[in-house]
Amino acid sequence: MLQYIVKRLLLLPFLLFIFSVFAFFIIQAPPGDFVTSYVAELAASGSSMDQAQIDALRQMYGLDQPMYVQYLKWIGRILRGDLGVSLDWQRPNLELIKERLLLTVMLGAFTFGFTWALAIPIGILSATRQYSFLDYFFTVFNYIGVATPTFMTALVLMWLAFKYFGISITGLFSPEYVDAPWSWGRVVDLLKHMWLPAVILGMDGTARLARIMRANLLDELNKPYVEMARAKGMPEWKLVLRYPVRLAINPLISTIGWYLPLLFSGSVIVATVLNLPTIGPMLLRSLTNQDMFLAGAIVLIYCLLAIIGTLISDILLAWLDPRIRMEGS
Amino acid sequence: MPRSMRLNRLLLVLVMVVGLLALAACAQQPTAAPEPTPTPKEEAPAPAPAQPKPEERVSKYNEAPMLKELVEKGELPPVDERLPEEPLVIDVVEEIGQYGGTLRRGFLGPSDHNNYTRVVYDALVRFSPDGTEVIPHIAKGWESNEDFTVWKVFLRKGLKWSDGHPFTADDIMFWYEYILLNKDLTPSVPIWMQNQDGSVAKVEKLDDYTVQWTFKQPNTAFLLELANKDGADKSIHNLAFVPAHYMKQFHPAFVDEAELQAKVEEAGFDTWTELFAVKAMPHLNPERPSTAAWIPDNSSVSDQVFVLKRNPYYFAVDPEGNQLPYIDYVRFTFFADKEALNLAAVAGEIDMQGRHINMSNYPVLVENQEKGGYRVVTWPTFGGSDAVLMFNQTYVAKDPAVGELLRNRDFRIALSYAIDREKIKELAFLGLGEPRQGVPAPNHPYYPGDEWAYKYTEHDPDKANEMLDSIGLTERDEEGFRLLPNGERLDLEISVVPAFANWTDVGQIVVENWADVGIRAHVEIRERALHFQMRNTNDLMIEIWNEDTTGFPFSGQPKMDPRSDPALTFGPLYRKWYQTNGAEGMEPPPEVKKLVEIIDEAKVSGRERQIELAQELFRHWVDNLWEIGTVGLTPMIQGVIVVNQDLHNVPETAGNDWPLRTPGNTRPEQYFFKR
Repeated sequence: MLQYIVKRLLLLPFLLFIFSVFAFFIIQAPPGDFVTSYVAELAASGSSMDQAQIDALRQMYGLDQPMYVQYLKWIGRILRGDLGVSLDWQRPNLELIKERLLLTVMLGAFTFGFTWALAIPIGILSATRQYSFLDYFFTVFNYIGVATPTFMTALVLMWLAFKYFGISITGLFSPEYVDAPWSWGRVVDLLKHMWLPAVILGMDGTARLARIMRANLLDELNKPYVEMARAKGMPEWKLVLRYPVRLAINPLISTIGWYLPLLFSGSVIVATVLNLPTIGPMLLRSLTNQDMFLAGAIVLIYCLLAIIGTLISDILLAWLDPRIRMEGS
Repeated sequence: MPRSMRLNRLLLVLVMVVGLLALAACAQQPTAAPEPTPTPKEEAPAPAPAQPKPEERVSKYNEAPMLKELVEKGELPPVDERLPEEPLVIDVVEEIGQYGGTLRRGFLGPSDHNNYTRVVYDALVRFSPDGTEVIPHIAKGWESNEDFTVWKVFLRKGLKWSDGHPFTADDIMFWYEYILLNKDLTPSVPIWMQNQDGSVAKVEKLDDYTVQWTFKQPNTAFLLELANKDGADKSIHNLAFVPAHYMKQFHPAFVDEAELQAKVEEAGFDTWTELFAVKAMPHLNPERPSTAAWIPDNSSVSDQVFVLKRNPYYFAVDPEGNQLPYIDYVRFTFFADKEALNLAAVAGEIDMQGRHINMSNYPVLVENQEKGGYRVVTWPTFGGSDAVLMFNQTYVAKDPAVGELLRNRDFRIALSYAIDREKIKELAFLGLGEPRQGVPAPNHPYYPGDEWAYKYTEHDPDKANEMLDSIGLTERDEEGFRLLPNGERLDLEISVVPAFANWTDVGQIVVENWADVGIRAHVEIRERALHFQMRNTNDLMIEIWNEDTTGFPFSGQPKMDPRSDPALTFGPLYRKWYQTNGAEGMEPPPEVKKLVEIIDEAKVSGRERQIELAQELFRHWVDNLWEIGTVGLTPMIQGVIVVNQDLHNVPETAGNDWPLRTPGNTRPEQYFFKR
């Protein structure tokens, strides 16, 4: 198993290199460059620049050079551990990403915990009491959860909060804590604001997971080994939890790996709507502005996370399922 | 939406508009001044204290409590020493204000830096509140010779930067010698600093408080240009002065190369020019001294919350000698999404803002006025039309058949007659504004007259059909749409960027209207940057945009000048022709060259001739109908303004346009909160 992990880790730089090339060229693919979108942005807010200024900007940012030169410059910096400076924000990308990464991870972990803590019991309940009232209730609930786009939920909740309480529920902090350094008060303030986006973001995932859990468990419940254990007089709840649940949960574990990058990209629209200072809206913004150094940096980090995520789920699976472990050795 | 519902909503809006107008009318009525108490005649009045002369009165300056505290602690010199010898006296709109408070605004991140520029509007001279003239600001005045080739700008003695350092002619000379004339920082000199032969205008220091600009030809656009040299667009190319004492440390002419390189690397940049460009902007670098009323308070436009605090050295006072600004802090809150910002405005979390407030939210805003504790003010632009259909005159290089049609004046006139502008006004502009062509507003000196404002604007499909037949578009396909003269299918594309207003709706109505006269067209919704790119590459046929520079055809980048960039898609290849002196692109026909002649003559003419020429320019545009105006004079562009109920001295009407830096021209320094 150790060998397996080491092999995976050795592959990592190579994968990252390939991803970086793709990321850079895809981000460069749309017509125009940062200056074009910058000028467009300005025109749309009612200001204008003359050609001389536009050319000067292009030259300053090195956008007048061929693409491969820009790429080499960029990748050269990354190899030195420098993610470059954002054209849009005029600040080092690393600094920008760091700020938001922490909040994104916290929100993601929160959502993740909430999703699993709710989905698995619901799935088990639905499966063991198939076609009961509870099962139907959760089924309907789940369908709604899956079918409603999360940004829609966010919008509706925002409107309700405004209509009935006269407040806007955007952001993750109260005004006084937005730019404050970390303190106990800030953490408490964050928790006060975090639960709502977590619920909104988790709804869709909870519903999906609960359905998968239910289906997986139903498959297992009719298998001979369950009958066998039952015949031996094992208490029902103990039986279900010890064997079929462990097997049914396998496919879920294997998706944890995907969950990691999803945690960043999946919430882009909701985070934009709710004005959350996470990394998703920043990626969206950097893409529309063609701020390729920032977008490239974020995409690279996504790739890294996807690779690490897959690694984690492989390890978890191996640990959980003896059959996989056997194969590996 | 069912028709009746739509009608109901329209009615509701109409009622609200009428109500609002009535309210505004009431608000404008001056409150009766209290009757002066008559002095009893028999009693000889005690000799009234001699009315102090105005100069004496302003010399007794007052200041904000937060500054007084600092002065008492000895951390700040007294107010009389901070103000220049002749401070700028700014009139108040309603009354003398009270100190204190925070003005809350929303912004959309670093690319929304002009949100800051518009609030502080920090230039040598500024535009007046109504936007029709240039008035003194940092500079106390100017003088030109008779033929407008030499301009002297006079500075205020004793005026100081926000760090207390004196502001002198050297701060302008530093900009000229080390920014404008530095090839690394300014690879190509901005047009306003060029002579007609392409050489650079001369700037000299006559004494510490007088700077002289010399052009090789008369230049009457000089002040108009100078009024916009405020570092807008986050660009050092939009500056005309910088704090020399501070900026020297980032310029190779003053610092050792190795030392500068270390600074560049530390900040993560490649070249010193990048570092310099960032350090020169107050909203990117809070350490940079400024002359604005509010200066960044340890935050920048890249932060989640961008806070400005009062500049203790601000050089202006109100008529009673109170140092401005009245408001202590300006606080910009970041919104990732424009709609979230609008919701915050509805919730009363914004104190004064028109930027990013969508006109389509006008009904919701008005509905929630009381609950949110604000009022809604509208400031329409001078702009001719808030949705013009611009026809690409050089599309012929791309597609000769369609291109020839777009160049045909009768074709365009016919299409103009086919449009139902009343419908557009009601459906896309909530009934605001009026159907018209893209000429300035009637209250503007450049207004060419009703005849041109409303030329070709009546809805007359019969006439349109007749004209289309007469230019030879008689063949139709099986669906009844007209074919091109060569028998091919005709399908006009209207490219729309969903910005500002419901331009997509405007486009849809136009498509329907044109279908009624047998012209097939469709709307193509595009992302902004792509649309702009296509403009430059001559790929757009027709586009919808606004015409918001009509108040300023002779300075900046007016859309009616074929050489402007970014311009509308009027003639991308003409522009190229002008840019390359005829080497590339397409040579414009005489009627397009005439536009350039008019504009160039106006730039060297006195004010009266300038006005004549402007009117001629707009008549020429309408007569040729290169663009079809639909609805204009709406508050579409940043003109729907949410104002906190307690905020005063915000005018009910004001000039609204980008060159005016609205609301900068309404002088936010004199806004105040009444408690």
